Amino acid sequence: MLRKRRLLVFLLLISLLAGLSGAGIAQDDITLTMLTHWGTEDQLAAQQTIIDSYMESNPGVNIELVTVDFGELRTKIITGRTAGISADVYHFYHLWLPDFVNAGVLAEPTQDGLSYIDENVAQGTIDAVSTSDGQVWGYPTEVNPYLLVYNKRLLAEAGYDAPPTNWDELKEIAEAITQVDDTGAISQLGLGVMAGWDSGIVHPFSALLFSNGGSYLSEDRTVAEFNSPQGIETLQLYADLVASGGTDPSISGLGDFPSGTVGMVIMAPWWRATLRAAEGIDFETEVGVAEIPVGPSGDAPSSIAYTWLFAVDSNSPNKAAAWDFIHWMNAEHDEGQGSAIGDFLVNALGAIPSFDHDQAAFAESMSDHYVSAFVAASAYAHPEQIVAGGQEIKTLLQVEIEAVMAGMTTPEEALASVAAQADAILEEQRMMAEE
Amino acid sequence: MSVPAVKSSWFTPDIPKSPLMRRRMLWAYAFISLPILALLVFLLGPILFSGWVSLHRWDMLSPVSEMPWRGLGNYIFLLTKDRVFAKALGNTFLFAIGGVGANTVLGLGFALLLNSPVRGRRVWRVLYFMPVITAPLALAVMFSFIFDRNFGVVNSVITSLGLPRQPFLSAPSQVLMTLVFIAVYQYVGYYIVIFLAGLQGIPQDYYDAAQVDGAGKRQEFRFITLPLLKPVMLFVVVTNTIGALQVFDLVFATTGGAPANSSMTVVLHMYNTAFKFSRMGRASAMAFILFGIILLITIIQVRLLRDRAYGD
Repeated sequence: MLRKRRLLVFLLLISLLAGLSGAGIAQDDITLTMLTHWGTEDQLAAQQTIIDSYMESNPGVNIELVTVDFGELRTKIITGRTAGISADVYHFYHLWLPDFVNAGVLAEPTQDGLSYIDENVAQGTIDAVSTSDGQVWGYPTEVNPYLLVYNKRLLAEAGYDAPPTNWDELKEIAEAITQVDDTGAISQLGLGVMAGWDSGIVHPFSALLFSNGGSYLSEDRTVAEFNSPQGIETLQLYADLVASGGTDPSISGLGDFPSGTVGMVIMAPWWRATLRAAEGIDFETEVGVAEIPVGPSGDAPSSIAYTWLFAVDSNSPNKAAAWDFIHWMNAEHDEGQGSAIGDFLVNALGAIPSFDHDQAAFAESMSDHYVSAFVAASAYAHPEQIVAGGQEIKTLLQVEIEAVMAGMTTPEEALASVAAQADAILEEQRMMAEE
Repeated sequence: MSVPAVKSSWFTPDIPKSPLMRRRMLWAYAFISLPILALLVFLLGPILFSGWVSLHRWDMLSPVSEMPWRGLGNYIFLLTKDRVFAKALGNTFLFAIGGVGANTVLGLGFALLLNSPVRGRRVWRVLYFMPVITAPLALAVMFSFIFDRNFGVVNSVITSLGLPRQPFLSAPSQVLMTLVFIAVYQYVGYYIVIFLAGLQGIPQDYYDAAQVDGAGKRQEFRFITLPLLKPVMLFVVVTNTIGALQVFDLVFATTGGAPANSSMTVVLHMYNTAFKFSRMGRASAMAFILFGIILLITIIQVRLLRDRAYGD
């Protein structure tokens, strides 16, 4: 009995020592958590391949991937920070950058990293991931301009062999495509909108606004300008399209265009993977991409483009390792091969990468009829103006655009109301920055 | 035999004299103190913290020690300038009135039916209760399809009857009542069970005596069932009102407050304000205003129904 007890104590001591020595070894390893919103099965697999490759060449660094839906990404970042369990590496929408910077969420990139970005990214894209003082906060990734994506078959069936180039044609073609059966069910819709999703509503509105000669905020980003006469005309277009049956907010452009029942949608390039897999429309022969139709006050097609970036949390205990990982993902290791993220953005998403070496390396992949149109548009699209409180302004505008489509208010009233609230938010943010 | 005088009240208990009893009491207090401490830390603490935050501007990202002081600014903004809050408050009241009314009437009606010797009573009870144990988000997604303007089952039925197609969740004028319908579908089973328990607690003797006196079914319901069910009614109305005023998951999953805030509720607006717009101070102020409203309504309901229920 005594011998057994001694043996037990001995074994316990051995396991304790082994555990402690194991902990000692584990302490030498670094674990980084990366938070992204790329969560489909294919996207997860592609990201994991990148991570595995980095870990293989960097023993002692473990990368854990966490993904959440885009709708929950900002909430995840905020609550993670509040709970003290924030990720080390974030991939986030650049509109949130000023809010995160003001709250001290982000760590400044290394000097080497800043130089690399400066040498390899177009100035417009660098500006999109910088604050007003010119500080760059991360590695820009996807650049997403908006264009008119249309179903060639539905246009042809409605008697049109070319997409609309101006708003009159847009209204005419949208109305011609729409089909309503005897019971009032919409079996086919001209122009699909994406109600209930702020970007899905505000970005297409902004693309049309810019194509009508308007602007979103003033150049110094201190007041709203979407309530200009050009803005009112743009929102009136939505009201007219609803009145004529050319659009209907109850039909989801995002969900129903791939099923082949929506004629046109104003959308970004990252949709390519979805459209390629769609069963209701043939990507190669039926999906067309055209410039945003020009409004009555505009003189040339224009658009809006938004960006995402990789950045590091200021609370990360492994900031240097986190920046090294980000740099490794975005840098070109072999000339002409592009970066790991560039490959992912182009080939898994259909998005346009920010770095020049990726645009060169994956030029062929971006030369298809779909992405090539967006590449051309990225040269002239207006970068989304980022300001503190920008998310709130965007949501307010989304709700008012939907209110106009629902016939609850007029374009003038809607835009005046949002502009007043937006100006108050911008003023408040300025005052807070001064405090 | 003399009756000992009652010396203690609830706050001055008799202190046991023997050392053994004193030691036992000490242990009792020691055990009680743990849950009380947990209650203070995990319930009262966050409430007080929220109250403190509601007087500040806090983005949840900056350190708490650096929150700018706003005083009653958040409350004043909500009550005078925030049009979404006013809209959300109105919607929440309509949702609560519709939901509580329907749940009470239907809950009592179905409970009366299930209390009678109807065939397959147990099966019906299970069927009515099943939505209660279904995940609200799953129900919300299911009803989004059912009420779809173009392909929904409900519209197929309506149009097959020659009636015009309805937009339901996509129309500002119909969305709230559609949500009330979904909420009632989900929770009426719970209230049926509560009413059923109340009905089965009423002694049969009362009905027998009433029948001897020549009372009909209506008179039995009016003069026996209803008065004796009033304590149950009080529970149903109060708990249902509190739940309805805090509605979140159903709206979040079906409409997200759309179209154009027509289905925005206070708690959903609170969530957006806190996590989408990083205004935790304003969201906390919203929580306190909602708490005040719920408290006031509950006091009114309890006073009205309790007096009637217990005949005070």
